[in-house]
Amino acid sequence: MKNRFGMRTQIIALFLIVSIGGLVILNNVFQAKQENIHSALKGMELSSQLRDIRHYSSEDSLQAEALMRDFNEAKAVVNIALSDSRVMTSVVLLLVIVLSTTVFIIVICRLSKPLRELKHATDQIRQGNFSVHLPETGLPEMRELKSSFNMMSRELEAIQTRLLVAEKEMIWKDLSRILAHEIKNPLTPIQLAIQRLEERLETNPEAIKEILPESVSIITQEIENLRLLAQDFSNYAKVNQPNTEEFNPALSIREIVKSYCQDYQIELDLAEDLKIRFDKTHFYQVLTNILQNAIDASESGKPIMIRLYGEKSYAVLCIKDQGIGIERKDLQRIFEPYFSKKSKGTGLGLALVKKLCDANGSIVRVKSEIDKGTEFTVIIEGV
Amino acid sequence: MFEAFGSRVLAGVVSLSMLLFSSFKGNDPKMTNLGYRNSDSFLYVSGIMENAFDNDFPTIFASGTPISVIYDLEIRQGNRIVAKNSFRHTVNYNPATGIYELRKDGRGDLFRSDSVQDIMRHLSSFDFGIPHQPSWAQVQIRIEARLPVVHFDTMNKEVDLMVLWKYEKPSARIHADLRTPE
Repeated sequence: MKNRFGMRTQIIALFLIVSIGGLVILNNVFQAKQENIHSALKGMELSSQLRDIRHYSSEDSLQAEALMRDFNEAKAVVNIALSDSRVMTSVVLLLVIVLSTTVFIIVICRLSKPLRELKHATDQIRQGNFSVHLPETGLPEMRELKSSFNMMSRELEAIQTRLLVAEKEMIWKDLSRILAHEIKNPLTPIQLAIQRLEERLETNPEAIKEILPESVSIITQEIENLRLLAQDFSNYAKVNQPNTEEFNPALSIREIVKSYCQDYQIELDLAEDLKIRFDKTHFYQVLTNILQNAIDASESGKPIMIRLYGEKSYAVLCIKDQGIGIERKDLQRIFEPYFSKKSKGTGLGLALVKKLCDANGSIVRVKSEIDKGTEFTVIIEGV
Repeated sequence: MFEAFGSRVLAGVVSLSMLLFSSFKGNDPKMTNLGYRNSDSFLYVSGIMENAFDNDFPTIFASGTPISVIYDLEIRQGNRIVAKNSFRHTVNYNPATGIYELRKDGRGDLFRSDSVQDIMRHLSSFDFGIPHQPSWAQVQIRIEARLPVVHFDTMNKEVDLMVLWKYEKPSARIHADLRTPE
């Protein structure tokens, strides 16, 4: 069980129990002793005995009277002094307890304040704010600790800046390489088609009609590929805030899969009574990207399974192919942008899936076995 | 005002500390039955002091040193103090004869007794007279009792007797309509 009381509270409680308890016990002993003296004093009586003694002269009487007066006065003074001491002891004890407890709490708070500051600063660092610095004040040990902390946060800040620069540079490099590669791929067939047309125009212009439809088709196809490439990049860049709505995922899945069913074997096992809250456009993008991946990985004749079922308060969507599978080392990078093992593709599809799932508060997982297939699972909170 | 506030704080602290940490009983004096009479151009104020003279008082009276109880009377009309006076009740004991003598200011009464209980019974009541001004109408009568600092000559020692009352001054107040004699 987690301890609900902090160290500071425990120290204060210990102080109160030990020191104040000790003082109270001491006071009780002291009070008891004084009570004994007080009782003994009350029992001391001289006047009546002295009055009963026969005095032979007026001088004797005066002496006896003086003696009685002195004795009674001394008794009264001691009595009052005792009472005064008992009152004062309790007052002083109360003041000492109040004062010492106050001072102790102030000291403990002052001691624990730098620790609280450190905790707060550490939390900030944990959240990625490396610019946090602590004032180097207080006790020498605390100053040293804060100084070390400030040094650490400055170093972390410098490392973070360097990392950000390096990361940006790497992203730009990767992006440039991918873009160059993806643009170059369609350009080569276009260039070849144009060259063939030029060549035919120079050598045999009448026969140009023989190759014109094929060349135009190649050029159109490759331009379409370039358009799709641009669309992929555009889609990844502009994932908007999700516009969530409640809908039945089974209906949407059937709608989306309908266009694929004519060319590919897709088996559906869908729970019909589920409802989810998700951006419908995002759902379409998630499903089509995963499905396209499964289609690319599958050999013909091997069906793709789409399963939808409810698990506690969640809807679980599984898309499983029986393709070549993904190697274990690649599984970790599969949702990274521009990572692709396919000959065609930008490597943005699954990255987009991950980004859309995150934006809609869902989880996407993948498991794969070489030569057996891959299974993507999307866990969406149900309604 | 600050003095009154200070003495109240002191009394509060003493009471709390006694309650928490002391077996000392002391006395918890209370002023009750405060009343007034308006006649013969005099205003008479009377009352009773309860639990004021038990415990250590017999020993203190027996010291032979005159012990006084002082009553501070204050009459206010609205916010204005129209009359203020102090009265003493003094106990004097003669060790040679064993006789206690109680002299009460205000009415000039004198009691003698060999019984301290008898003296304490008389000491527990007070009755003062103060000249009544015709301008007084609706007034507030406030009375507060206190014990003095006493010097014991033989011991050459000065002690504050208020410790016996745990530094708490008993007081009481009453509203009086003096327009019609009672």
